[in-house]
Amino acid sequence: MTILIGYVPTPVGEAALEAGLAEAAARGDDVVIVNSPRRGATVDADLVDEAAAAKLVARAEAAGVSARVDHTTHGADVVETFDALAAETGARLIVIGLRRRSPVGKALLGSDAQRILLDAGVPVLAVKPTA
Amino acid sequence: MSDERTPTPEPGQDILAEIQAEVAHDLEEDRPPAGGPAYQVAGALVALVVGIGGAVLSYGYGLGSLRQPGPGLWPFVVSIAIALMAAALLVVGRSLTDSEKFTRSSVLPAVGLVTFIVLALLMPVIGFELPSLLLCVVWLRFLGGESWRSTIITSVVTVAAFYFLFLYGLRIPLPHLF
Amino acid sequence: MDVNAFLDGFGLVTEPQNLLYCLIGVLIGMLIGVLPGLGPAATIAILLPITYSIDPVSAIIMLAGIYYGAQYGGTITSVLLRLPGEASSVVTVFDGFALAKQGRAGTALGIAAIGSFIGATVSILGLTLVAPLIAGWALSFGDPEYAALALLGVLLVATIGNGNKLKAMLAAAFGLLLATIGRDSFSGAERFTFGSLQLTEGIDFVVVAMGLFGVGEILYNLEERHGKPHVPAAVANIWPSRKDLKQSSGAIGRGSLIGFVLGVLPGGGAVMSSLAAYATEKRIAKNPERFGRGAIEGVAAPETANNAAATSSFIPLLTLGIPANASMAMLFGALLILGISPGPQLVEERPDLFWGVINSMYIGNLILLVLSIPLVGIFVRILRVRPAILAPITALITILGVYTINNSTFDIFVMIVFGLIGYLMKKVGFEPGPMVLAFVLGSIVEDGVRRSMLIFDGDPTGFFTRPISGTILAAFVLVALWPAAKALLARRNAATVAAPAERDHADTPSR
Repeated sequence: MTILIGYVPTPVGEAALEAGLAEAAARGDDVVIVNSPRRGATVDADLVDEAAAAKLVARAEAAGVSARVDHTTHGADVVETFDALAAETGARLIVIGLRRRSPVGKALLGSDAQRILLDAGVPVLAVKPTA
Repeated sequence: MSDERTPTPEPGQDILAEIQAEVAHDLEEDRPPAGGPAYQVAGALVALVVGIGGAVLSYGYGLGSLRQPGPGLWPFVVSIAIALMAAALLVVGRSLTDSEKFTRSSVLPAVGLVTFIVLALLMPVIGFELPSLLLCVVWLRFLGGESWRSTIITSVVTVAAFYFLFLYGLRIPLPHLF
Repeated sequence: MDVNAFLDGFGLVTEPQNLLYCLIGVLIGMLIGVLPGLGPAATIAILLPITYSIDPVSAIIMLAGIYYGAQYGGTITSVLLRLPGEASSVVTVFDGFALAKQGRAGTALGIAAIGSFIGATVSILGLTLVAPLIAGWALSFGDPEYAALALLGVLLVATIGNGNKLKAMLAAAFGLLLATIGRDSFSGAERFTFGSLQLTEGIDFVVVAMGLFGVGEILYNLEERHGKPHVPAAVANIWPSRKDLKQSSGAIGRGSLIGFVLGVLPGGGAVMSSLAAYATEKRIAKNPERFGRGAIEGVAAPETANNAAATSSFIPLLTLGIPANASMAMLFGALLILGISPGPQLVEERPDLFWGVINSMYIGNLILLVLSIPLVGIFVRILRVRPAILAPITALITILGVYTINNSTFDIFVMIVFGLIGYLMKKVGFEPGPMVLAFVLGSIVEDGVRRSMLIFDGDPTGFFTRPISGTILAAFVLVALWPAAKALLARRNAATVAAPAERDHADTPSR
């Protein structure tokens, strides 16, 4: 089976990656690291370049997991991207990172994590950064 | 650059042309597919019609003489030049690749154009605020694929900013409802 | 040179209000240089209505700032993202991005800032010294000279730009025809008005420019053409080392000169000079294979040259009243709005404006040098704002702006029509630039030709027997026939190397 890990180069993303890799190593799953930039943006700070992507794959291999990085772009709703990828890979689990958001911030900007938790078609494992 | 293996027959002979080609090649990657001969012919034909039509009309305005040029002489000369160049383009321009195919995403500019027209029609009637808001919503949500939340916030802030900028900042009397 | 007027010009520029507009102009310029999409000509076009509501000198200072500020802004994205923000920074991509990949993005940006500043300053000095001389000389020009010069300007802009020459000339001729719409100033006859009362006054230049450049580009950008999002490169240590400076000093010097000279020529301008400067450096380099792999001269030369050219392209506008490129055509239009017809008399009649604009460039470039480096981080952050969010804002600025000119909805519709024309032209491969330029110059050419025919008593050979207009027209013929001659030459050359070329084609996979 396959596990999708939502990854951005921040502590939240790192935590998701750690947990996802551990889960995959324990159960012998493949991993797709989802690093999905916003469609239409000229620059996306959450996007990782090829070198960084290669490092991620190497890290997964060090943990004994075969992985690839997916850069499919997403539109206004990131859930669709995850659902499509889950259907495509037959994933059994999505791993994402969570962070604390003030209620105001959540109301204004929304929360991709919350939407994935509520709307995704497969089980979701939500992880908090350790620090 | 991918062009490193390009053979240079006489080094230094025309580096400028070479770089230009390289630049063109580089920009090529991001461009949608070329439209093909039909586009070129259509463009040339429109130009030909403009040229001939202009020539006929300006002939009607009176050419006068070289000593006493009439109002039609200059536009006549220009129109003839247009017609001649359009005819030449019709012959030599078929294989050009500088056009862009109309694709499904060409609907977006068409919708954008419609919102422009709607704004121009509605503004004198109900002021600029609501039509502007409408334009923003259409452009952000349907043309730009923004989420509803970001659409509403951006639209309201934008229109409010314009309201204060034009009516209070620059004191320009736009037709306004409020 | 009138030293007093020159100093008065400085006095004018350092007035807080003008300093502020200079700063705003330069910032807007850098911003649109960074953002892909709108170019400087389109931006100036969209902001033209503002010239109705603020002081003329301030307005021109601001619009000029947009133009040369954009030359710098384009560099930032060229280096960091391999995404030229402006056409004049396209060649900078080769070595700039290579340097960024080696972790030397800061060095590239720093040398570009320094080169730009030196190039621009050299060019302004040249402008300060040369412009009054040209203006004085051009005072003796008569109608035939003006007609010939304007025609040459139109032709040069059409032929030197990139793209198909025939199409560019066709667009230019279309602009000339467009300029005849309305009441004929000689006979009072109405031309191409089709009975419309609003068309008798002719079509307003601002409306045409805002339509073709502004709306046309906005619509064109709406089509989904954005590529993949980029990862921003990190910028560390901005300041180039002493070695970098020494290595690029020659490139900066040559770039300044090339930029100044090519900028003066109509149609030359920033794009052409950046290419030429890069080519020169590559040609004279001891080991040209370094170029494209992170040669610091490959950044210094084009960036110096494009700023030098952007500055010196003001010379033909301010001294002859002939705009050298599309952006200058916009400034020409702005001056006309203000009731000032640019030409050799400008330096005498409006020394405040003449020297105010020129001297504002000294200040503006200083601002650019000081601001560009610290602001790089902010500009990269601005790039994260999605174009989709900016699009409706520019659209509204354009529509509301054009309405405010005459409080007329008719103008909005004319603009929309020209927007559609501009969009379709781009789709079919016609550049709207030559058309707008020819439209601006159209009445000068026509009036000049017709008055000349009266002077010459109906004998068109008169154009060739007057020394200056004769020379200009000879140049015209040369330029007009040059592409054909070059094509012929290339064909002969191609025939001789056809055999190896064919073999080369065989193993190139077709794309």
